[in-house]
Amino acid sequence: MSALQERQELLHHIRDAVVDYDEEVTVELCSNAIQVGLDAYDVVANGLALGMEEVGQLYEQKEYFVPEVLMCSDAFYAGLQHLKPHIRSDAATGSGQVIIGTVEGDVHDIGKNLVKLMLEAAGFVVHDLGKDVPLDKFVQEQQRTGADIIALSALMTTSMLAIPVVIEKMRAVNPNVKILIGGAPVSQESVDLYGADGYAETAARAVDEARRLLDLPYQE
Amino acid sequence: MAMPSPPRQETMAPHERMGAIMMGQKPDRVPFSPFIFGFCAKNVGLPVSTVYEDAEKSFFAQLRTAEMYGYDGAPLYGYASYGGWEFGGDIKMPRSRWEQAPVVAHYPVESEEDVDRLELPDVERAGSLPISMTFSRLQEKFGMPITVQLVGVVTLVGELCSVDRMCRWMIKRPELVHKLMRKAVDHLVDVAKLWVDTFPVERMQPFVGDATSANQVISPKQFEEFALPYQKEVHEKVLDMGVMSMFNHICGEQNLNLPFWRQIPHGRDGVPGILSFGHEVDLTTAIEMFGEDNIIAGNVEPRLIQNGTPEEVFAACVACLEKGKQAPNYRYMLMAGCEVPVEAPPYNLFTMRKAVMEHGFYD
Ligand code: B12
Repeated sequence: MSALQERQELLHHIRDAVVDYDEEVTVELCSNAIQVGLDAYDVVANGLALGMEEVGQLYEQKEYFVPEVLMCSDAFYAGLQHLKPHIRSDAATGSGQVIIGTVEGDVHDIGKNLVKLMLEAAGFVVHDLGKDVPLDKFVQEQQRTGADIIALSALMTTSMLAIPVVIEKMRAVNPNVKILIGGAPVSQESVDLYGADGYAETAARAVDEARRLLDLPYQE
Repeated sequence: MAMPSPPRQETMAPHERMGAIMMGQKPDRVPFSPFIFGFCAKNVGLPVSTVYEDAEKSFFAQLRTAEMYGYDGAPLYGYASYGGWEFGGDIKMPRSRWEQAPVVAHYPVESEEDVDRLELPDVERAGSLPISMTFSRLQEKFGMPITVQLVGVVTLVGELCSVDRMCRWMIKRPELVHKLMRKAVDHLVDVAKLWVDTFPVERMQPFVGDATSANQVISPKQFEEFALPYQKEVHEKVLDMGVMSMFNHICGEQNLNLPFWRQIPHGRDGVPGILSFGHEVDLTTAIEMFGEDNIIAGNVEPRLIQNGTPEEVFAACVACLEKGKQAPNYRYMLMAGCEVPVEAPPYNLFTMRKAVMEHGFYD
């Protein structure tokens, strides 16, 4: 087998192991990949991450539900953990940093967790503030980390009203930070209404939207 | 705005109207029960948390709001995050401007070992149950249905160990989820027993709300395995105690679970249960599947009630009424698809009443 074929095959198996939420096999394959000299970043981007992308699609098609997605995410993170020390510092071509959280008053965090996961799988560095996050915390974290995007999740019409407040607070200290919003009651209309920068209906599409906001190239 | 035509005359009091549809008899109009909590507290000048923390204030806030808006639904106590507090965790009451309902601040089950350690609560003392008991005494005193909350088993287990953990265990450690389900059922049956021992059983109508079993979270297969047998057991045991009817709020996208909900009894001896659905489930489907022996309630989208124009809310209510009036034996009532948002414009709630007055009468 040529080196190229071997790479292809390994990456393919890694992708499948993530989709099959087989944590052990995922880690084992990632370890093999490093042993045969594959570039760790290549394995993340074209193995693990492609797996998560497929998982996102399966969720949208109601083939997978939250339990399956969380199990896949465990496999994904286990693989990532294993590869991280091998990633050359110049390899990760800085996709951008995101601060994410479910706004104050709202504990619905399942969707937010999926968005976080898809962003991480796509190479973003994500700071997760959790759920029921006091509004000032978003701004403080942005100031602390210099993140490019604040991603706000709200699942209730009540807590949704906190979104424009965060936006106003953020704009007051740094008008250039991009604000990405989502959650069941949020829509494209809310973007204009609240003065946000982007919206996505699903976690998978949140990645495209985040890329768009930062003028990053779409993945092939 | 057009000149108003003289309103149709109501010929029944709210309890007569509800009584009529329970017995399959023709009411003057479709009953209207909005499904409303925090809004009521605000409506009478109290903080939202009052409706969950203070039985007496909650009861009267709800009663007065019903009086003001002319709806038929009687006061109801409960909240979706039930269970964490009762089993020994902590609850956080809604205090800030953005909050709408209590949330679990600390789960009683945070590890696999905690599952076996988890003890059944003393139902006379635990968490919100004393508040719920005081509330039910008022319901009894005022001649209203006595509606103890017996939250859905999946929602309850999610609030014991967090939804994330429950989801992972469904795949990785299913036996842990089954153990928690067992405890959930035993607890809910304990609660029901206390109520049955305290109140006239024929007046009881337990309130089951289930959000986390939605297909936005779990699969129909997981529902079948982890929810169906336990939810069914709760209903069967409660009905065996002499309770005639249960009120269920089946929250969110539940379309794939409907065949299983159908295997669960909600009433007995010809007395219907009440099944309330979110906007995700079509009312006509609900009537076809459950309308033979249940009252169907729903399903005006909460988001619309808060953010929609009065015209949009009115149109959505009329659409519901048109479908609902097709239910056999008049067994339909107009309700929101989930809690009426605290921030809903008062006029939109009034609009729901207006729709019922203009389009809800039976000829
Ligand atoms: C499960 C659930 C719960 C669980 C939550 C458990 C948890 N840890 O999250 C529990 C039981 C605790 C709960 C409680 C309550 N709930 Co609830 N709940 C739901 C339900 C059924 C599913 C939500 C869910 O997890 N969906 C699955 C995830 C994967 O989907 P998602 O969150 O929409 O996320 C996707 C997209 O929106 C997007 N996305 C999400 N966030 C973001 C962020 C960004 C930046 C982007 C780009 C995209 C994005 O990507 C995700 C993946 O594709 C919904 C129904 C619904 N229509 O959503 C009601 C719902 C949200 N709940 C509702 C209500 C009313 C409540 C309560 C107030 C009930 C009560 N009176 O006690 C409490 C409030 C608690 C609180 N203070 O937060 C209402 C809200 C109505 C309103 N006012 O708008 C809903 C809509 C039900 C309905 N039919 O009306 N609930």
